[in-house]
Amino acid sequence: MTGAAIAGLGLTEMGKVYGRSSTSLAAEAVRLAVADAGLGLSDLDGLLVSAGVKQDVNVNLAAVLGLHDLVVLNQVNAYGATAGVMVAQAAQAIAAGAATTVACVFADTPLKPKQSAGAAWGSGAKRPGAAKGLRGMAGWSVNSGATNPNILYALCARRHMERYGTTSAQLAEIAVAQRAWAVHNPLAQMREPLTVADHQASRWIADPLHLLDCCLVSNGAVAVVVTAADRAASLAKPPVHVWGYGQAHAPRRMHAGSDWGLVTPAGRSGPAAMRMAGIGVDDVDVAELYDCYTYTVLVTLEDYGFCAKGEGGAFVSDGRLAPGGKLACNTGGGQLSSYYMWGFTPLSEAVIQARGDGGARQAPRNDVVLVSGNGGILEHHSTLVLSPHERKAS
Amino acid sequence: MNGSFPLVEGDEPSAAFYDAAARGELLMQRGPSGTVLPPEARTDPDSGSADLEPVVVSGEGTLVSWVVVHQAPLPALADAVPYVSAVVELAEGPWLMVRLLADDPAALRAGAQVRVRFVPSGSEEEPGELLPVFEPV
Repeated sequence: MTGAAIAGLGLTEMGKVYGRSSTSLAAEAVRLAVADAGLGLSDLDGLLVSAGVKQDVNVNLAAVLGLHDLVVLNQVNAYGATAGVMVAQAAQAIAAGAATTVACVFADTPLKPKQSAGAAWGSGAKRPGAAKGLRGMAGWSVNSGATNPNILYALCARRHMERYGTTSAQLAEIAVAQRAWAVHNPLAQMREPLTVADHQASRWIADPLHLLDCCLVSNGAVAVVVTAADRAASLAKPPVHVWGYGQAHAPRRMHAGSDWGLVTPAGRSGPAAMRMAGIGVDDVDVAELYDCYTYTVLVTLEDYGFCAKGEGGAFVSDGRLAPGGKLACNTGGGQLSSYYMWGFTPLSEAVIQARGDGGARQAPRNDVVLVSGNGGILEHHSTLVLSPHERKAS
Repeated sequence: MNGSFPLVEGDEPSAAFYDAAARGELLMQRGPSGTVLPPEARTDPDSGSADLEPVVVSGEGTLVSWVVVHQAPLPALADAVPYVSAVVELAEGPWLMVRLLADDPAALRAGAQVRVRFVPSGSEEEPGELLPVFEPV
């Protein structure tokens, strides 16, 4: 079977980038990724498109880019798990001989000028002319007050705290470690060093989550180009080989006995990807973990088997994830400190690390790079195992 | 820390639920397997059946998790913060995402006994449907 590799990476400006559509940013990211690989747009025969919060980029991107001769074209959506799902689909298409060169792109523009990050996630309820009251069963749901991801992830974190004694100060360790990495990342939006005390003093969003437990909101786009491993070897950049992939989906069950919030589908996706790659967690040099919230990192580490269930709080303490710590994790600062591009945040940093292009933030070893994607409220998961080395035949 | 409750107007699909609330009853659904399901469920996962019937439940339950919301997620809830949102496990099994009336959120613990209570939505001038919420016993 033909192995696949990531041959190109394209990142547009990130953050408060105004006056451009998601489609325009997506097109730029694809052009950058293709050029990064030393290819031309006409070399692409596949395009997979992911829209973010605004959901305003789609398969019309192919026409925008003048791609009139594709054999793979699709819009993919598994929420925050999408990036890993796309790379897996591209790798499968290449392995099957259905395509040779597939670009995967994400773009989003939720931020507007003079608007808070929180407002970027608002709903139509604030539109003038909206109904005076809330209608039907939705009215009861809205009155529960648990209507956005901040609150729903906080419910999950609270469960873990109650069950295992996890503390907010332990979650702070994750935010502090990632900021320490971001200090060295010129692409990061937040680069001022952070302390546990800063985290604890940041305002409550949804107790037990402080402001500094929550990800950024960013405008921008990221693309990668996936091709056959042997072809990638002759292109412009060192190939980043795809050793393994996995995904698992578990829409939450709202019923007695449900482990929603405590156990995530990472527990199935991670081991599947590592099995395919022929590695175990002890082989992982760099972990780029989806971090919409600090708690997402903690629970993913547990579900991947870096530590036992319930021990995530102790595991992340004492700077284990920080520069110089035992596990290089979210080396660009992650979604908490660098930029929020759904699963393309961990994926893009993984490619940079696997290439050895991390500069001042380059991890000491990069033979095995693990990438996670998480979507819904800990309900959808994807995993990639990447490496600068071609996988040895097993 | 018990907030306000934005106005709710019932509609055809929600009429049975809000009519029950007006009688002081909490209405759920039951599938052919006997599993009791929340109002939004469309399938009984134990039998795969979409044939669900209404059932009045006890309104007794336990606290699974809760959050003290400080930043309103919607403009409609701007006057309600800070408030407590919770997951409650009903004695009959289903989990509900609900507002929890709690005077001392710091004293809440997972597993604590809770029960339903019905509060009016909207205002005195403009009342809406009665809403099931929960409170510690």
